[in-house]
Amino acid sequence: MKRYGEHRFPGKLFIVEGIDGSGKSTQLNLLYQWLRSEGYGVVFSEWNSSPLVRRITKRGKKRQMLTPPTFSLIHATDFADRMEHSIIPLLKAGAVVLCDRYIYTAFARDVARGMDPKWVRELYSFAVKPTVAFYFRVPLDVAIKRLHASRKGFKYYEAGMDLDLSEDPDESFKIFQGRIVEEYEKMIPEFDLTVVDATLPIEEQQMQMRPVVKNRLAQAKRLRVAP
Amino acid sequence: MRETYGVVLQGMNLAELSGKLIVIEGTDGVGRSTQINLLKPWLEHQGHAVVDTGMTRSALAGKGIKKAKEGHTLGRITLALFYATDFADRLIHQIVPALQAGFVVLTDRYIYSLMARALVRGLDAPWLRNLYSFALKPDAVFYLRIGVDDLIPRVVFSRGFDYWESGMDLHPSEDMYESFRKYQTALLGHFDTLAEEYGFEVIDATQDIHSIFEQLQEGIKRILNGEQAKELRTEPAPPQVVTKIAAPERPLPTQQPEEADAAVPKN
Repeated sequence: MKRYGEHRFPGKLFIVEGIDGSGKSTQLNLLYQWLRSEGYGVVFSEWNSSPLVRRITKRGKKRQMLTPPTFSLIHATDFADRMEHSIIPLLKAGAVVLCDRYIYTAFARDVARGMDPKWVRELYSFAVKPTVAFYFRVPLDVAIKRLHASRKGFKYYEAGMDLDLSEDPDESFKIFQGRIVEEYEKMIPEFDLTVVDATLPIEEQQMQMRPVVKNRLAQAKRLRVAP
Repeated sequence: MRETYGVVLQGMNLAELSGKLIVIEGTDGVGRSTQINLLKPWLEHQGHAVVDTGMTRSALAGKGIKKAKEGHTLGRITLALFYATDFADRLIHQIVPALQAGFVVLTDRYIYSLMARALVRGLDAPWLRNLYSFALKPDAVFYLRIGVDDLIPRVVFSRGFDYWESGMDLHPSEDMYESFRKYQTALLGHFDTLAEEYGFEVIDATQDIHSIFEQLQEGIKRILNGEQAKELRTEPAPPQVVTKIAAPERPLPTQQPEEADAAVPKN
């Protein structure tokens, strides 16, 4: 069982992290388009997307059956399925893999839900260490403003309503996401996250990311893929 | 007072868990369910309220595991985590509330079976110990021990070889018999190590049903009278970490005799 940092693959893994409304998905999409145009074999892998576990997670959330430990474990199951069946084979094949959220999302959320930080880190120790992990840092009120513009309200678990922080979903969301930001900030030195100022114009953030990625692709072979 | 294997889950007050947690462990087809079906009415006859639970019986993940196993496509880490999810759900929604209410909880397998299965599949022991460090230490673990030569005829003449119980995911090129033999031998080896490590009370499962039942009765009586079955050794666990947030109140468990699989061991 290979542990974090012990894997050696020809492919590269770039991941983005940050709270909802930080703009990380927008940036990852731009990066994807750019890498494709440069001729790399690029593949997306999203958080919570394993076909196997997705239905259970969805049902568990809908019926509010999840408690902090099962919330943590069901997401770890989903992640393991993607790791074993998608990310590792792709990296072996030399692909550039892009992940919207990675294990740091779990560390932030699960600890914000009261799980033991060491326990969660050991739980995910089978994960491949990313080539570069970007963290999109944004003040909470900026993120909330962006989210209000784009959606109607927050979902139960997204707002941390399972923690009885507040009766008001907006208020609960704010407290819960505040805790998550605290956890992210602690992880910057711990996991050597590359911080991007997510209040900058979109173009400027992208121009910061590209050289960082390009640098790490120097020796990676360029896969010609069908357009 | 009750303890865990290292991590105490948020909002779990160990001092309140006054019931008894009794584990019946053993490999596939060894007769665990038969014994539990005898023990439950016996305990109830004596006035103890009993909850029985077993693998893949959680409301959250039970059906999902069964479904996923039909496809035979699970990775080994994924499978281990899926079982851990099922276990955590049952711990929180069945075992803990029952112990709070003073029930006797009889569990058909516990974390040890899950560990043994994962160990055979090459997962790390320290990783598994961490994974299950939130589990409660039981009052006793009765291990129904059998050798592979005694196990094979039982399986052949009852339900036949099962894909997973034969470890066909590990030895796909072999026939079921060869694979079963190899897999169960390795599994029993891990069980023996765990028995030593965690201090199981070992019962010879080659005896007839009634003799085993009597020995279990003796052991359980001792526990209900307040004695430890045997000094339950524990791992050199990390210091207990108590985490912050209070868990929501949970209703009492309702006893769910999940489908009709109680009589036939199926796990």
